[in-house]
Amino acid sequence: MKLIYTDLINLLSKKPSKELLSEKLFQLGHEHEIHADIFDMELTPNRGDCLSLLGLSRDLNIFFGKSEPIDIFKDNIEELEIDFENRSPSDCPQISFLEIEIDETTDSYKPYIENYFNKLGNKKTNIFTDISNFVSYELGQPTHCFDRETIKNKLIFENKECNNTFKTLLGSEVILKDSNCVFTIDGEIISLAGVMGGASTACSTKTRKVLVECAYFNSESIIGKSIKYNLTSDAAHKFERGVDIGSQEMVLRRFAKIVQDHAEIKSIKLKSFRSDNFQNISIPIDINKVNKILGTNLDESEYLGYLKDLGFNISNEIEVPSFRHDIKTNNDLAEEIARIIGYDNLKSSPIKLGKIDHNNESEVEKLESFLVANGFTEVINFPFSSKNEKNSINIINPLDSNRNNFRISLKDSLVKNLLYNERRQKDSIKLFEISDIYTKETEILQQKKLGLIISGRFGNNYRDFTKTLDNKYLNELLNEHLSEDIFEIIEIPRNELDTKRKEKIYYVEISLEDIPKNFFSKLTNHKKDINFVSYKPVSEYPSSMRDISFSITNPEMLESLQKLILEYKNDLLKEVFIFDYYLNDKVGEIKIGFRFVFQSSLKTITDNEINFVMNNIIDSALSIDSINIPGLMKDL
Amino acid sequence: MSNLDNYKPPIIPDNSGTLHPINQTKDYLLKVLAEMGFKKVHGPEIETEEFNFDMLNIKKSHPARQMHDTFYVEGKNNVLRTHTSPIQIRTMLESKPPIAFSSAGKVYRKDDDATHLPMFHQVEGIYVDENVTFANLKDLVHRILHELFGNNVEIRFRPSYFPFTEPSAEVDILSESGKWLEILGCGIVNPIVLRNCNIDSKTYSGLAFGLGVERIAMLKYGVNDIREFYKSNLDFLAQFK
Repeated sequence: MKLIYTDLINLLSKKPSKELLSEKLFQLGHEHEIHADIFDMELTPNRGDCLSLLGLSRDLNIFFGKSEPIDIFKDNIEELEIDFENRSPSDCPQISFLEIEIDETTDSYKPYIENYFNKLGNKKTNIFTDISNFVSYELGQPTHCFDRETIKNKLIFENKECNNTFKTLLGSEVILKDSNCVFTIDGEIISLAGVMGGASTACSTKTRKVLVECAYFNSESIIGKSIKYNLTSDAAHKFERGVDIGSQEMVLRRFAKIVQDHAEIKSIKLKSFRSDNFQNISIPIDINKVNKILGTNLDESEYLGYLKDLGFNISNEIEVPSFRHDIKTNNDLAEEIARIIGYDNLKSSPIKLGKIDHNNESEVEKLESFLVANGFTEVINFPFSSKNEKNSINIINPLDSNRNNFRISLKDSLVKNLLYNERRQKDSIKLFEISDIYTKETEILQQKKLGLIISGRFGNNYRDFTKTLDNKYLNELLNEHLSEDIFEIIEIPRNELDTKRKEKIYYVEISLEDIPKNFFSKLTNHKKDINFVSYKPVSEYPSSMRDISFSITNPEMLESLQKLILEYKNDLLKEVFIFDYYLNDKVGEIKIGFRFVFQSSLKTITDNEINFVMNNIIDSALSIDSINIPGLMKDL
Repeated sequence: MSNLDNYKPPIIPDNSGTLHPINQTKDYLLKVLAEMGFKKVHGPEIETEEFNFDMLNIKKSHPARQMHDTFYVEGKNNVLRTHTSPIQIRTMLESKPPIAFSSAGKVYRKDDDATHLPMFHQVEGIYVDENVTFANLKDLVHRILHELFGNNVEIRFRPSYFPFTEPSAEVDILSESGKWLEILGCGIVNPIVLRNCNIDSKTYSGLAFGLGVERIAMLKYGVNDIREFYKSNLDFLAQFK
């Protein structure tokens, strides 16, 4: 909800600065952003009463006082004769109608209402609809304007089973289904109550006689309709959050006053219909309870004083004002007091709880630690799948048809993760995921599963570079000390996948409860305390590799060469490792190969850029005594 | 020529993998809570509407229950839990106060855009005993945030609204750029919720709080895009050693 700063402080006797106003709004729990003179409020859903200038000012009165009351039409108003039947008072316990006829219409308004259109960017429609919108902004109560000439026969409010096309006053057509609160004439729906009026009875710029409907609809009767029919409206937003059941006549009198400010009223009539079954809430006065909730030592007079300032009436009990639907219990009242004092001004007081041993010896944690130590990286995947297996649990309202089932296995996710990283030029991949998996048996079955997948090189170092991750590797890692091969290793055929790579893919999936206890007993948790490293954004550009092999005839120089290359810093050099190392102890010569991986965070890297860095490294390396690049001509 | 046996071959660099940064952050939060006396409990991700909503005082008409916010799954009134709070309901039904529990895990909302994911993680804590007050809640939340962000972090409590707590608060910390960042939701357990769990709300009161794990991880690691966590990119994941 957007509101103009000056409009709000007009209702306060002290005129706080924007900064002070903002501070107090936050203290009261009313989040907002400020853009120049506009406060863009983000109110919590329980505070429908604050969705207006009047509502917010009521909350702020305790800090900034009340200004003169809003001007209303004070003269006696003749009773309206209207043929109306309320067939569902439980959905609408209070409804009032105002009929006004004016001499001529205008679209040039007094500044107080003109601002609402100019500064907040609202569009003018016709004088009555414009006043209706302004009154809702000012007082928080929606009204609906029917062109009086279109209401000829009996008007009925009912909660009705519908299967009708309804044309809204904005021109869109919706098909009303199931039960809806509607206004009808001769069986025809003329308004979707609390959401939007219909085209057939809407006002136009020519309308001079209007029937203004002003009702209290139960929020439960309105909620969901706006979303169901994709009809967003200020009225629905307010009714869903609750309006003030005591305000309808006052609101219509304000409406009449604004009409009077802009035109000559030829006739004015008013009629209210109220069912008796609506009662305001009262709560017994219990300061001890409130102090017990907050941990405060307030005395009763201070407590009741705060409540009075918020509009509560104090008799033998605390009478909750009709606009505060959210207040029902002492906990609610305690929150009121805390808001007024300010949450940040309430004292803190420690609790003493016994320390719990953080159980990091659980099987899951041991397993994670074991896999990480062996070079596996953990992934977390969304559990949605397009595959509808016999035991899949279906999602009734999925995001889309590719995500309409709960996955029954971790395999597809992990294969996808593997291929994703292969496309990013990774050639040594070990991933795992541990997740609860849900399937449909006679009832919903929950199993904690481990999935792990491998492919490519053993590792990016000279010991592991030429070895390939395979069945044997996994078998030794997982099954070695078990009496039988509990971990079933399967090969995932490449030909079914969208990939040109050739390295074999191996996969294991197991329910944790199927892993024997003695497997875990060998494991220990090596987890370190968390280290919140500062993350560097990942480049989306391709990487490029270069390999160089050196021969070192004086092995004492090995360390200098390693230091030079492994510690070489360049923004484009992402990674360097030794992929080959051989010591020929007969002749005392070392052969060592380095792999350089280049990647730019800004663009696709060029050969020239790589060569520049490589030449620099080579020059420095060759300047070390006894180091050569076999096959490299010295004068190159 | 010197004895070649003295030359050490190059060191094999650490080739260990990593735990997912979200799980690292989640475990860290649970550890912080354990040190404060909260015991870890678990619960299912597929929940009944009763535990996910009704028992938590989230009425049938509440917007969160609508099909565009919550994933409904087949079976009688089942949903993908929208928060970890139903774990607290299950635990309260099985235990007698005083209790202090933490719960953590995946939660689901029907959302998928630049800043919202259909699945994310929460960590929650609840403490129920005689005479638990808002003052206790304030102290505890300050201790948690001091542990996470250092003793000098500036903290702001704002009134807010959750159906399962009353009074309710959202808590902000002041970032280095001078902006308040929402970091935690909390409140005094609504007595209706205690009664739903067969706890005498005249004798007992409770406090509860919840944090979004992704939010904490983003702040602590400096990750700006929540979607990075779920691309399973090794260049990303390998940074969190």
